[in-house]
Amino acid sequence: MQFDYTPVLERLPYLVGGAWLSLQIAFLAFALGMLIGLGGASVRAYGPGWARRLVGAYVVFFTNTPQLVQIFFIFFALPDAGIVLSPFQAVLIGMTLNAGAYLTEIQRAGFESVRQPELEAAETLGFSRLQTIRYVILPHIVRVLFPPLSNQYILMTLGTSMAAVFGVEELTGRAYNINSETFRSIEVFSVAALLYIVITLIATVSLAFVGKRFFRARMRWF
Amino acid sequence: MWAQIVDELPRFFGYYNLIFFAKALGVTFALSAVGCIVGFTLGFALAAVRMTTRPATRPLRIAATVFIELFRRIPFLVTLMLVFFVFQALHADLSMFTVALISVCLIATAFIAEIVRSGLESVHQNQWDAALTLNFSYLQTLRMVIVPQAWKIILPPVFGFFVLFIKDTALASQIGVIELAFAGKTMNNKGFSATLVYGTVLALYFMLSYPLARFGQYLERRLAPTRNR
Repeated sequence: MQFDYTPVLERLPYLVGGAWLSLQIAFLAFALGMLIGLGGASVRAYGPGWARRLVGAYVVFFTNTPQLVQIFFIFFALPDAGIVLSPFQAVLIGMTLNAGAYLTEIQRAGFESVRQPELEAAETLGFSRLQTIRYVILPHIVRVLFPPLSNQYILMTLGTSMAAVFGVEELTGRAYNINSETFRSIEVFSVAALLYIVITLIATVSLAFVGKRFFRARMRWF
Repeated sequence: MWAQIVDELPRFFGYYNLIFFAKALGVTFALSAVGCIVGFTLGFALAAVRMTTRPATRPLRIAATVFIELFRRIPFLVTLMLVFFVFQALHADLSMFTVALISVCLIATAFIAEIVRSGLESVHQNQWDAALTLNFSYLQTLRMVIVPQAWKIILPPVFGFFVLFIKDTALASQIGVIELAFAGKTMNNKGFSATLVYGTVLALYFMLSYPLARFGQYLERRLAPTRNR
């Protein structure tokens, strides 16, 4: 077996551009998923019964079926109903819905972690409703939620590789392209793997820094 | 659209198609089950290696750490491709199923090792010290002191991972393993409507994953009260 990394290294900027696109997809899906999750968790905590069951069904369905098949469905089956999406849109919608389900669960757990005595203590101290949210509930929730949320973000960064299946040219997609151009398969995919390791390591370390520094979250560097 | 689906239904659920789906379900199940079992065994071993403190096992510790950190950060699709092309370059004539099986075991090992490690670390240092004072060997300490206390913390997230993992095996369709997602693609190519095909595939995955998820939740509830130390 001989390795020849030169054709891959020549195309490294192209691959790095793909990594940038991966990060963008992950970030977009995460941000949109956070919104869904925030809404979903609020409904599950305070909403009427039927809405709770609806959100519950959404969460159960999306967390128990593969993201890949969900995107297949969105990409191939929605055109039957007259909705035609580009691969990028389909992947983004699929990832967002999927992320929304997980983030609903995570944020719900965060909501539940605020204990009644804490709220009573705030009331005893004469905090207003807003002050209670600002000084008691939020710091607590953020501290509890930060580690699982950053974990989810990193899993989602890895999940973006699925977009390659639909022809989106992010990191894995571009690795496919280079592979079919040069046939330097092991080299291409090892470099792609290395890039994934680098971007997730950067994410882990910076998120751990932010979490520890600003939110007193219990996190590991690795 | 609905008329077309209703029209296709009898043909879609014909005898041979059902057998095809049943086989695909079996492959998905086999991939997940083997990945879970091998991943749990090896993951436990790796975590145990990582918890050792002697200078002599330092290289092993570093190797385990590097393995875990790397494979937790490579997307499954890329792992699949790498395993596939590495075996191809070695001229090992493996079936696609074997390639998928190996990749599945690799990532399951890495993820479960991390879960097990955090479980083992949750046991207080005093317990390790006490075991040392009683002259327990490392393995005795693990078996008789640490694991009996840690398994309650390890099991719920491990089941959570199993559920994640069943769904990840869908990516094996990308190298041509005939599992559920691939079966869906095949049927779609045969001309059945995508709504029907992927709806069925989603339902089948749900059937596989939901009981496990419920069992995980049950375990979590069951084991949770004893966690308070």
